[in-house]
Amino acid sequence: MSIQVFDPTYASSGTVFDLAPRLDGLRGKTVGLISNGKRGTVQFFSAMEKQLLRDFGAARVIIRTKGNYSAPMEPEILDEARSWDIAFTGVGD
Amino acid sequence: MNFQSKIHSIEDALAAQEYFHSRKWTDGLPIIPPTVDLVQAHLEWAMLNPDSLIGVEPVRARPITAEKLAINSVMAGCLPMHFPLVVTAWTAMLQEEFLLHGATSSTGGCAILSVINGPTRKELGMDGTFNALGASDRATMVIGRAIRLALYNLMDVRPGEVDRSTLGHPGKISYCVAEDEENTGWLPLSVERGAPHSASAVTVMSAGSPRQLMNEWTTEPEQILETFIAEIKASMLHYSIWAGNFAIVVPPQLRAHFEKANWSKADIRQFVFERARVTRGDWASCGKGMVVDERGEEIFQALPTAEDLLVIAAGGPAGGFGAVIPPWFGWKSRAVTMAVGACVDCEA
Repeated sequence: MSIQVFDPTYASSGTVFDLAPRLDGLRGKTVGLISNGKRGTVQFFSAMEKQLLRDFGAARVIIRTKGNYSAPMEPEILDEARSWDIAFTGVGD
Repeated sequence: MNFQSKIHSIEDALAAQEYFHSRKWTDGLPIIPPTVDLVQAHLEWAMLNPDSLIGVEPVRARPITAEKLAINSVMAGCLPMHFPLVVTAWTAMLQEEFLLHGATSSTGGCAILSVINGPTRKELGMDGTFNALGASDRATMVIGRAIRLALYNLMDVRPGEVDRSTLGHPGKISYCVAEDEENTGWLPLSVERGAPHSASAVTVMSAGSPRQLMNEWTTEPEQILETFIAEIKASMLHYSIWAGNFAIVVPPQLRAHFEKANWSKADIRQFVFERARVTRGDWASCGKGMVVDERGEEIFQALPTAEDLLVIAAGGPAGGFGAVIPPWFGWKSRAVTMAVGACVDCEA
């Protein structure tokens, strides 16, 4: 005789997120770079900023840094990001 | 009871072992198959419905229900009477200041230390004496394991998945200790941290492995504490310099010297707070001179305030040992104390 056991794993509610519309390029766009605050992001995002402006024609690059790299970004950064065309986040450890 | 979890039909309890292991639902040790009747017994003991919300993990916005927590508690070997402690520990872990996601995903590899206080310790046969930090009794062992198994299965905190620990430590199997309240005149940890005196309570801390020390050559409280402080400083220099919750575990042989000299936990906390500090320049003594730069005189203290030291009375009767348990990473995760049965969101 078999036994009936429960599945112990988290059961997703099935929430589905739509992908944001893709951009056709970065020319003339406002690009946000969200640093987690680790030291490695300083040089990495600085170089990335130069490359985005020089090679990809971005109009503006905005760099913001989280206060705690283990926690979600502050609501102010999220609010500001709504006005950007695209945002990059990264570890930069 | 109206359960939501998917049900699997398996040949028997032995087959369930491979079934669960192969799906990465366990820590590698055998589990008790979570059958309907066992899970229901857990929930009934805690007077919870399957869909009772224990809390929501703040970073990933993941709701944790009593049903899923009970399933994992059964698997860990808990009896129904153990389940309220698992619920309380998880309720505390889900508080924002605990930063569960950061603590359990970090390369730093900490574990969730649970300290149990109050009458439930004796009711459940917990023993904070011999081998207090290492499987001293059934109840602390299975409660600590239930906390960890639930992390596996409810938050995907498995090695190489959300758990990115470089090394981890053995406390990640189970890390639960009952304070030895019967053999001390000190206030219980939970009472010091605001829980009612008569209540059972759980304190959770994102904790590194215990660092054992020994000083059997003095009876002076100050000198004994200097040994604890040296260990705290070593952790600051060798691991992480940032201030946070440290715990110290004080067994009876050393406690006797404090109690004879009328030192309370508060006295100990204040002494350690004032002296447990290093300078940035001290890094040069342990191979980290490269990061000292011109700020060598900068002072770093171990504790943000004296209240952030957790003083735990536990350990076997003989031996001038003690232990320092360092925080995961400074102040990013803060220890949380919660009384069993406390309602987090209820209006006063």
